[in-house]
Amino acid sequence: MNDPLVSIVTICWNRKEDLRESLNGIREIDYDNLEVIVVDNYSTDGTVEMIEKEFPEVKLIKMFKNIGIEAYNIGFKNARGEYIVILDDDSFPERDAIKKMLDKFRKDEELGLVAFDVRNYYNYDDIKNDKEDQSEDAAAESKDYLMAFNGAGAGVRRGLLEKVGFYPEEFFLYWNEQDIAFRILNAGYKIRFFPDIVSYHKYSPENRSSWRAPFYYTRNAFWLIWKNYPLDMAIKFTIQLIYNCFYFSMEQKTLIYIKAMFSAFIKMGKLKGKRKPVDRSIAKNLRIPFNVSFTFFR
Amino acid sequence: MKKLLIIRSVSFQQLDKNIITIQEKYKDYNINLLTHEHGVKLAEKYKMIDKIHIYPYKGSFKFKNKVKELADEEFDLVIIPVTNITGAGFLNVLLYSLTLKTKKRVICNVVSDFKEISKTKIMLMGLQNIAMSFLSFILTGIFSIFIILFMPFKLKSLREED
Repeated sequence: MNDPLVSIVTICWNRKEDLRESLNGIREIDYDNLEVIVVDNYSTDGTVEMIEKEFPEVKLIKMFKNIGIEAYNIGFKNARGEYIVILDDDSFPERDAIKKMLDKFRKDEELGLVAFDVRNYYNYDDIKNDKEDQSEDAAAESKDYLMAFNGAGAGVRRGLLEKVGFYPEEFFLYWNEQDIAFRILNAGYKIRFFPDIVSYHKYSPENRSSWRAPFYYTRNAFWLIWKNYPLDMAIKFTIQLIYNCFYFSMEQKTLIYIKAMFSAFIKMGKLKGKRKPVDRSIAKNLRIPFNVSFTFFR
Repeated sequence: MKKLLIIRSVSFQQLDKNIITIQEKYKDYNINLLTHEHGVKLAEKYKMIDKIHIYPYKGSFKFKNKVKELADEEFDLVIIPVTNITGAGFLNVLLYSLTLKTKKRVICNVVSDFKEISKTKIMLMGLQNIAMSFLSFILTGIFSIFIILFMPFKLKSLREED
């Protein structure tokens, strides 16, 4: 059997050293038929020069400003592979991850997205249990609910991605994976989390700026609801989220959640033509931990 | 041997980091982990974890959601990892920890600093929560009138054209 082309797509913005390490990790992958696409969000720290000099095999696409996650969509459009692997600029898959991923896709035609087990780059090798026999088909899942995926390591069928649409560019940052997960599941495909496929991620939330995560997580939570939930659920969850914005603003003595909430309403027009409620069973069963929005502030 | 329970209220990426410090700090403890069902296979990868318990609910940790298999368990310590420095936003997990029999409760923050928190302190936070909840309820009630009246039309206008 011929090895299908796999496109690795990542974006970057001023993270030269992290990206260098990730691209070195990608070079170690045990799979030959790969194309690597990096979309640069107008870095000014020499990232572009580093890629051009040290990684000539990379297909580099340069943006003229930071367009956030929309840059992924540029990468997806330029991908030629039958499968696309989505990474962060500070993540890379384990050496055998692509082969394992393809094996999962071959075994199950309804499998739309393979979610990698995204682990901490700095610590995972020290904590993992080498004796643990991870059965290759054992997925990390629940019998009672569905899961989305982590964008620091996931493989998807390109045809499916083109069919359901790419990342929601209006989100800019965060909850984009959950938005696409709704559409993949609604198209009748499965998302499965495989513990034996690992992606290393330089997890460093302490370096996050104080306002970006709470702001975008909160604003986009509203948009995620308005785009995907059936009407009655959308109203119910909107009210719950408004309550949470007030509550956590008081608890954490900040206005960031209120600001994000108003921003969601004021800029609601950005969702024009994008609301497509999913099947009720998917809306009910896909686990979206909305409370995460309120845990990054301090 | 002493026994501790970690409530997995953060991502595995963060726990990968926290757990090393936990193991170093609490050397003579048997380590238990409570996680949602989808986390079991991922938690099994930890070499230092002795036992995994399942939180059999879809949503976040809540005081009202009891875990039957933990009803008779007694711990020397319960650790609550949080994704920030102060633990803000994790009151639900702290309140949930009150359902567990333990001698001590400790918050482990994003940089693996530990801070003990007493049962009384959590209960006081819970009382404060009642006041903030009431005020949020009133404000949300006012907003909800507009949401219920106008949201259906607004959402309709956002719909994808067939």
